[in-house]
Amino acid sequence: MTDTTLLCASGVCKRYGSGDGLVRAVDGVDLAVAPGETLSVMGPSGCGKSTLLHILGGLDRPSAGQVWLAGNRLDEMGERGLARLRRDAVGFVFQAFHLMDELTAIENVELPALLAGRSPRAARHRATELLDRIGLADRAKFLPSALSGGQRQRVAIARALANEPLVVLADEPTGNLDSEATLDVLRLFGSLHEAGQTLIIVTHDSRIAATADRLVSMRDGVLVDETRLTGGSTGSLGALAGLEG
Amino acid sequence: MRQEVVLAMLAKEPSHGYELRARLGQALGPLGEDMNAGQIYVTLARLEKSGLVSCERSAGLADRPDRKVYELTAAGQQRVAGWLAEVSWPRPDLAEFHLKLVAAASGKLADPLAIVDAQRRELLRRLSGAQRAAIAEPGRSSAGLLLEGIVLRLQADLRWLEACERNWTGRKESKQ
Amino acid sequence: MGRVLLVGRLVAGNLRRRPVEAGLLMLAIVAATATLTIGLILNGVTSQPYLRTRAVTAGPDVVASVSPTFGGPGSGVVTPSSGGPAKPAPPDVAALTALEHAPGVTGSSGPYPLTWVTMQAHGLTVAAEVEGRGQASTQVDRPRLTAGSWLRPGGVVIERAFAQALGVGPGDSVTLNGRSFRVAGVAVTAAFSPYPQICAEGCFISGHLPGNDPGLVWASESAAKSLASSNEPVTYYLNLKLANPASADAFVNARNSAAPAAPFLVSWQQISEADGKLVANEQRILLIGSWLLGLLAVASVAVLVGGRMADQTRRVGLVKAVGGTPGLVAGVLLAEYLVLALIAAGVGLVAGWLTAPLLANLGSGLLGAAAAPSLTLSRVLAVLTVALLVAVLATLVPAVRAARTSTVHALADVARPPRRRGWLIALSARLPVPLLLGLRVAARRPRRAVLTTISVAITISGIVAVLCAHAVFDQGFGVTNASGLTNPRTSRLSDVMLVLTIMLATLAAVNAIFITWATALDARHTSALTRALGATSDQVIAGLAAAQSIPVLVGTLLGIPGGIGLFSAVRDGATMGYPPAWWLILLVLGTMAVAALLTAITARIGVRRPIAEILQAELA
Repeated sequence: MTDTTLLCASGVCKRYGSGDGLVRAVDGVDLAVAPGETLSVMGPSGCGKSTLLHILGGLDRPSAGQVWLAGNRLDEMGERGLARLRRDAVGFVFQAFHLMDELTAIENVELPALLAGRSPRAARHRATELLDRIGLADRAKFLPSALSGGQRQRVAIARALANEPLVVLADEPTGNLDSEATLDVLRLFGSLHEAGQTLIIVTHDSRIAATADRLVSMRDGVLVDETRLTGGSTGSLGALAGLEG
Repeated sequence: MRQEVVLAMLAKEPSHGYELRARLGQALGPLGEDMNAGQIYVTLARLEKSGLVSCERSAGLADRPDRKVYELTAAGQQRVAGWLAEVSWPRPDLAEFHLKLVAAASGKLADPLAIVDAQRRELLRRLSGAQRAAIAEPGRSSAGLLLEGIVLRLQADLRWLEACERNWTGRKESKQ
Repeated sequence: MGRVLLVGRLVAGNLRRRPVEAGLLMLAIVAATATLTIGLILNGVTSQPYLRTRAVTAGPDVVASVSPTFGGPGSGVVTPSSGGPAKPAPPDVAALTALEHAPGVTGSSGPYPLTWVTMQAHGLTVAAEVEGRGQASTQVDRPRLTAGSWLRPGGVVIERAFAQALGVGPGDSVTLNGRSFRVAGVAVTAAFSPYPQICAEGCFISGHLPGNDPGLVWASESAAKSLASSNEPVTYYLNLKLANPASADAFVNARNSAAPAAPFLVSWQQISEADGKLVANEQRILLIGSWLLGLLAVASVAVLVGGRMADQTRRVGLVKAVGGTPGLVAGVLLAEYLVLALIAAGVGLVAGWLTAPLLANLGSGLLGAAAAPSLTLSRVLAVLTVALLVAVLATLVPAVRAARTSTVHALADVARPPRRRGWLIALSARLPVPLLLGLRVAARRPRRAVLTTISVAITISGIVAVLCAHAVFDQGFGVTNASGLTNPRTSRLSDVMLVLTIMLATLAAVNAIFITWATALDARHTSALTRALGATSDQVIAGLAAAQSIPVLVGTLLGIPGGIGLFSAVRDGATMGYPPAWWLILLVLGTMAVAALLTAITARIGVRRPIAEILQAELA
């Protein structure tokens, strides 16, 4: 744990079953995420990346290893503590959006603030601000069923931001979106990044993963490769477009 | 076909031209049928001229026209090593990359998986650049369309690299 | 044929998959049908025990009596205590014996002397009616011994229900007006209703005797006469046999007059009716109870079916995707519940048939028993119809809904979209987190909340009605009367009511568990999501409990007036009673506590699965 690390995993394992049925979903992962960094975890489905994300966000507990978030040991925390942590320090974004169908966009966004015990007025204020930021202020009173996939996911991202979390964890955030909506979501992530939001994206899609500062690849529960995507050469795009050579 | 491919195929052991051809044909499968037989001899001759390959006449097979045995020179070996480390990907020359992996593995010149990883990192960086440029473009611009094309192509290449990785991981495991 | 086979296979598969739910479902229907069976069977048995006793004891068709007259203004029932020791005129025995020669009379016994005494037995002091009899057998009214022997010098015989209430038997000693007697035997008669109903046709008792209801004691004629006092002078009675027993009512009506000295006549039909009142009351209670239980069973089945439907949507989709018609889908669902209902109804019928004699037989005093009350075809059909109606009523709506679901939707497992209740959501935002969650969960499935309300209201109505009845008994006609004697009638009624109350409460608890389980399953995704957003599982459980407690509270509050209304509707002219307020307050608090506890336990099981797993399952 250093000052430059917000989230840190060390030797994290997650096993299910026993004997011949033993599954090592996550098998000894070490990871450190700096504040303000965008990290993507890429791997095929079933490689354990979602499980890792759930452990990092306190949705699931590791079988072994340590997880630190802003100085707190998650793996030793009680249920109540984890709930408080998810409420105050973590924002989740899911592939299936997981918006509540019977709540309007703005009611969905203000829900975490209400759960955190904010006053209805403060929660509504914050939600309005966030909807404005994601460009959906005019859809505040719409039910999720009246929104497009991309709009729903942006609402879900706004909901994740409701309590100003230390880190936003996104699990295949564009898995259910077309390419136009994907770009919208990625633009939103870009602006979050610029605002200094720490972000971890789990995806099987290289295109999404490539927008991060750093990309780790995961296979069979193990991190196998790491690529720094910013600060180095990115090659000549012109050559790729057939303008050279 | 790049000279380096022929060079690298030769790195395994000193070989006759027809052996080289057979090796290439095996690596390329049906694609090898399109290969011009004469092209290999022309390439070998050029390589010899530029001092990357040395050549000895073999004794036993006097009736064959290609009874020369070719071998890498030190300069040739250096050239191969440089080529293996290279990750440029101007356009998808899949055959070249594929042969690079075959040559690296058969000649025990390098770990094919390391080559795949290095190549993937490079492609990811490019994809990252293209994707950032695409995100920065306002929606529906024509440049955005071009960037979309590059992104899609790079994604396809990356997916193929994944396949390469699986394939070579499998071979490594089955040998063990 | 293949279609029937397919339906059979799907039904069997479904039942195998969920044996517990099938069992609970059957339990609900068994309880309802058993109660209904008992109610229906008792319908016919009320007069049977009396008729049998009448047959074996050569019961009289008419009982006539004459009592001393105190010269008061025109009243047959006299209270001499106030006016001082006025000398009464002796009873007009001649008028009584004249009846032996009345047209239509074919036989008689008596006249026998009769008086009322204070009796002590086992430390209890009660009133008794002493009837003087000879040792020889008589043509009319031959009390049948059920234990011991008939009258001996210094011995008495006690009517069976009275003996049972006192707890005495042959060989025990009792005192009558202070004189000691030995109990020679225990017997039954058809000339009087059994204890505590012997005065149902009218007694001439002064206020000097302890307690309200005297019991019947046979003694020798001389002993009976010698026990008479100035307060309780000797009365005479005569048993008559008529050529046409059916005309007894007419015979009695033609001869009873308001004149104090005239003989007072009672027909066997009147005695039988007083005797049957006891069973009739039970029967009324049981019928009402079985309707309440039946309604609860409908609620149970509706919740179960609805809850199962939610997770059967996918299966329905599969059946339809491989070519099942909507009719087939509905058929499978209906067949499943109809089979269960029929089996349960069968079990309920047998259970009710076996239990009914126990309830009817408890009426001691009468020799006859409701010997295996008959289970006629029409009764069987009635019970089966009710069971099938329960199943069809509860299954029809979900079955039709499932059958009409679009196949694609069903395959995608899209449950019915919850309703939006904007004002509730806005209101809940101002509440603490558990209430916020609870209100929103409740708002998602309003029909289920209504079902909870109804179920609780029915149960509480039943319980409140029983409490009202208890309040009435406790006031006057106590379960234990002033002399410390158990009243067989009220104790039997309260037994029946207790059994019904327990059944109602059990079914209601089962219902509460069903409903919470369905709600917990239904809210599984929502609660997993709110937990992911930072709600603790305690908050989620408290939320589910809150979601349940609102309809439970409403149901309880509706059930209280409902129960009072129910009691006043069935009391049949009896006094109206209200349970003390603190009973009702306890009932409300207790119901809320039990409901909250059941919900918390069920919900805890429901939310135990890891969040990530639940949210992930949505994608699978």
